[in-house]
Amino acid sequence: MTVSTIGSYILPGIQTLLDTRTRLDDLQRQLATGQKSTTYSGLGVDRGLAVSLNAQLQAIGGFDEAIKQISTRLSIVQTTLGRMSDVGRDLKTATSTAPFDPDTAGQTTLQKTASSDLGELLGLLNTQVGDQYVFSGRDSDKPAVETVDHVLNGDGQRAGLKQLISERGQADLGSGGLGRLAISALGATGVQVQQDASPFGFKLAGISTTTASATTAAPSGAPPTMSIDFGATNPNVGDTVTFSYSLPDGSTESVTLTATNSTTPGPNEFTIGATSDLTAASLQTQLTAATGKLAKTALMAASAVKTSSEFFAADVDHPPLRVDGPPFDTATGQVSGTAANTVIWYSGEASADPARSSAVARIDSGLVVSYGTRANEQGIQWLVQNVATLAAMTFSPTDADGQARSQALNDRLRSNLDVPAGTQKVENIQAEIAATQNAIKGTSDRHQQLSATLSDFLNQVKGVSNEDVGAQILALQTRLSASLQTTAMLYQTSLVNYLR
Amino acid sequence: MGLSQALATAISGLRTTQAGMSIVAANVANAQTPGYVRKTLTQVTTAVGGTGVSVRVDAVARELDQYVQRQLQTETSGASYSDLRARIYQQLQQVYGDPSSDTSLEAIFNNFTTSLQALSANPSDYASRTAVLSAAQILTSQLNGMTDQIQALRSDAERGLADVTATANNALQQIASINQKLATAGPSDATAATLADQRDYYVTQLSQILDIRVIEGDRNQISVFTGSGVQIVGTQAAQFSFNEQGTVTANALYDSDPSKSNVGALKLVLPTGGTYDLIANNAIRSGQMAAYLDMRDNVLVEAQTQLDNFAAALASSLSNVTTTGSAVSSPPQAGVDLDISNMQDGNSFRFSYTDVLTGKVHNVSVVRVDDPRALPLSGSATIDPNDEVIGLDFSGGTAGIASQLNAIYGGKLNFSDTGTALRILDNGTVGTTAVNGATATRTASLTSGGPELPLFTDAAKPYTGAITQGGSQSVGFAGRISVNLSLLADPSKLVMMDGTTSSGDPTRPNFIYEQLMNASHLFSPDTGIGTAAAPFNGKITSYLRQMLSQQGQAAQNADSINQGQQVVYNSLAQRFNDASGVSVDQEMANLLNLQNAYGANARIMTTVREMFQELMQVL
Repeated sequence: MTVSTIGSYILPGIQTLLDTRTRLDDLQRQLATGQKSTTYSGLGVDRGLAVSLNAQLQAIGGFDEAIKQISTRLSIVQTTLGRMSDVGRDLKTATSTAPFDPDTAGQTTLQKTASSDLGELLGLLNTQVGDQYVFSGRDSDKPAVETVDHVLNGDGQRAGLKQLISERGQADLGSGGLGRLAISALGATGVQVQQDASPFGFKLAGISTTTASATTAAPSGAPPTMSIDFGATNPNVGDTVTFSYSLPDGSTESVTLTATNSTTPGPNEFTIGATSDLTAASLQTQLTAATGKLAKTALMAASAVKTSSEFFAADVDHPPLRVDGPPFDTATGQVSGTAANTVIWYSGEASADPARSSAVARIDSGLVVSYGTRANEQGIQWLVQNVATLAAMTFSPTDADGQARSQALNDRLRSNLDVPAGTQKVENIQAEIAATQNAIKGTSDRHQQLSATLSDFLNQVKGVSNEDVGAQILALQTRLSASLQTTAMLYQTSLVNYLR
Repeated sequence: MGLSQALATAISGLRTTQAGMSIVAANVANAQTPGYVRKTLTQVTTAVGGTGVSVRVDAVARELDQYVQRQLQTETSGASYSDLRARIYQQLQQVYGDPSSDTSLEAIFNNFTTSLQALSANPSDYASRTAVLSAAQILTSQLNGMTDQIQALRSDAERGLADVTATANNALQQIASINQKLATAGPSDATAATLADQRDYYVTQLSQILDIRVIEGDRNQISVFTGSGVQIVGTQAAQFSFNEQGTVTANALYDSDPSKSNVGALKLVLPTGGTYDLIANNAIRSGQMAAYLDMRDNVLVEAQTQLDNFAAALASSLSNVTTTGSAVSSPPQAGVDLDISNMQDGNSFRFSYTDVLTGKVHNVSVVRVDDPRALPLSGSATIDPNDEVIGLDFSGGTAGIASQLNAIYGGKLNFSDTGTALRILDNGTVGTTAVNGATATRTASLTSGGPELPLFTDAAKPYTGAITQGGSQSVGFAGRISVNLSLLADPSKLVMMDGTTSSGDPTRPNFIYEQLMNASHLFSPDTGIGTAAAPFNGKITSYLRQMLSQQGQAAQNADSINQGQQVVYNSLAQRFNDASGVSVDQEMANLLNLQNAYGANARIMTTVREMFQELMQVL
């Protein structure tokens, strides 16, 4: 609107016509764009609301984008975890019936299955969604785990699991082949067993006998010693002496020797000699043989399990423990490996905080979900470690103790794959992820409703109703044409036209 | 009496009718001329010996309703004022953009926050990182562009002031010169009426520019005063002087002290030679001049301040790290140790102590000020209304700060340098003060190890809110805000808080989103949102809403005031036109009358001639 100068020919009537015309143009724009105004001033008192609603709608849009990404990621994680769980279950079933059939490379059929299972597990752990490695924690641009070849066989200067099992095996067996125990005579009528000061080999757990006249000494001293002394009285036939050892994996094994009159005692028997001196000598010989056998079988299996658990507990910040050697068979302690000399199977991010919190996203103004996963979470690590142990051992077909060792290993792994109580299972992770998925689903549904409501509301503020505008245009058009006509008539009825 | 007398009378009748015709012709010809007032002819009989024997033109009168004219002049100022304001407000509305388009400030801000949401779902993704940075760049360039537009509007106002000043000066001179001419013209002079018309035209022009009062004097003289009572023209004209500044930037503000003012000053140079500062004395209250001044110095400045505060909140909410001092005891004194290292110009630390006797809690903000000319700081240098503000030179290190503070608080509080921190202790055994706590706020660096980061910078330097003689760093910041160049060179710093952060760590993206969407900030009362006693304390998004809402409301108000004003003006103009304008119909009717009168006079002459002929034949 312009201010007309005094006496100017823009009379108020014409001004009104111009204004009506402008209003008509504006209504036409409204009809064409569906928007009430092109400026905030034209929106009226609800303009602030429009700004808020816009922001809210945009935020919901942003949340939904995030939800889409997270949902995709989580369903892939679920599928992956489901497959891992299946692998563990199938392998467990196989351990109970597997025959001992090592090939020339020293691997049984079961082990070959375990090898390919390990390959699959590690492959699954390197699953990518988009270009994110989902099991790497916060380091989502790095693969989560090393390849199966590196994990088992090492990579150049970096030792793999097989080498670590071999080193630890030597250390546990000890130079004497008795699992680091020293078995000797105690006086003339007794036998004593002494462990050594290193962390390797058998550890004494206890001694017992059914011979009433014998004296036993429970493990004591440093390093501990335990013993039995028959004294002057010989044991009776059928009496037993039991020596119990703790193994590196936390299991306990016993050697029970039964007294016999036979001069050629079988395994786990000892001969009652003419005097208790001779009996003690036989006991010592037979105990040495039985302990040596146990060292080559159960101890080796336990050693592998222990090594594997240490190997898989490692991450960038916590390198795996290795035997301080060579020589390994006389090693006295463990040292931390380095990233340069040992393969560290988990290459993702490893903080002390829960794995879930390694990926956190806000999916609603008041709701934050944690949905990160790490390959070294206990449940996953436990599965991988046990499968890998099985895959890493070798059994020579010519080794007399091979089958027993294989059996000892299978037994241990079967019980481990059952997942002891208190240990996280893959299924637990699945359940946690499912709960997150549920929360996301609920939020997403709510967003759909909310966004519809808000859009509707925003439309009421910013938009126009076509019927309304149409009616206004019609009314205005009628008024404008009537005004124009009367104005024209008014101007025609000038006296000038009648002066002829 | 005789025929010859009749002839003479008829001739005078013809002459008068011709004059009447010329008035009608003039009226019709000038029907569309601005400022033209309808003229009428006043004719009187000239009598000889008591008998009307002839007719003559007495005066050319102007058909003028002076009451309406005066009212119209007043309303013209008002209408020009409200019209110009409404127009500039509408232009300002264009700056904020179309609410439904993608180019409005809110849409661009929302896009930025959406890009952050995407980044926190996938922090290691290079594309998501660059998407955040490009959304941030669009936001900063939008703010830069809006600043340019607002300052362009201020420049237009400056130019407008120069234009109206020139127009007003011309009008003043014309009025003075017409006044002088009219002083010598007789009342029946036809040119006098025309001159008066011209003078009215200039008065009207003047009334569009500023609010005036017109006082009629003797001998057709008028004097014009401003609404505030300063005479601007009589027989001599005062002149407006305006020193137009070529460029107007956000930092160019009006100040009543001419040495500090960076925009044009409007003064009145009196005929006597004296000058009168019209802005400082608030002498112009209406008309285009007042509208331009209001826009240049208030409305547009406030709009700019709102944007600047928005920009400042964006920058500082992401970059400010606040650390808390640790309690320390040094019997019999107790207090806090506060690390005040690495503070930049404009960063501040706060401590709080209680005056035990009165129980009053004192909050003290100590601001680092590198420009000594800016000292001492006023209490409003910080937004918090409840604090005491001290500006200090930090160049002397912690020890230097301690000694400056001891000089201020000697006896009440005791400050010392522990080597790693500033120790603030109460006055021990005197027991009249108790130190409650202290915090330090500093601007973080990109690799500070914490989630805070200087995502936005002031061109190439960090935004710290530094205070210099020229004012706060926030003034015009919206025009300079940009995305940190180091961040553009290395987008990974959006996620990496230091060298060891995992590339998929969402801590930083989440922090940025949280600060922008959910954290509360204080906003300066200079924005017109909130008051000095209770500053607006809210989310950035709420502030944005308030800002757009307030501007929209102001524009709508200006528009409705203008519409009301135009209705008043139009109806007055209508009334004035009815009274003083030319009605062609009426002129035509007059024309018929005059034609008849002319015919009648001519008829008398013909008759007189015939009678003379008859007389001649008789003789």
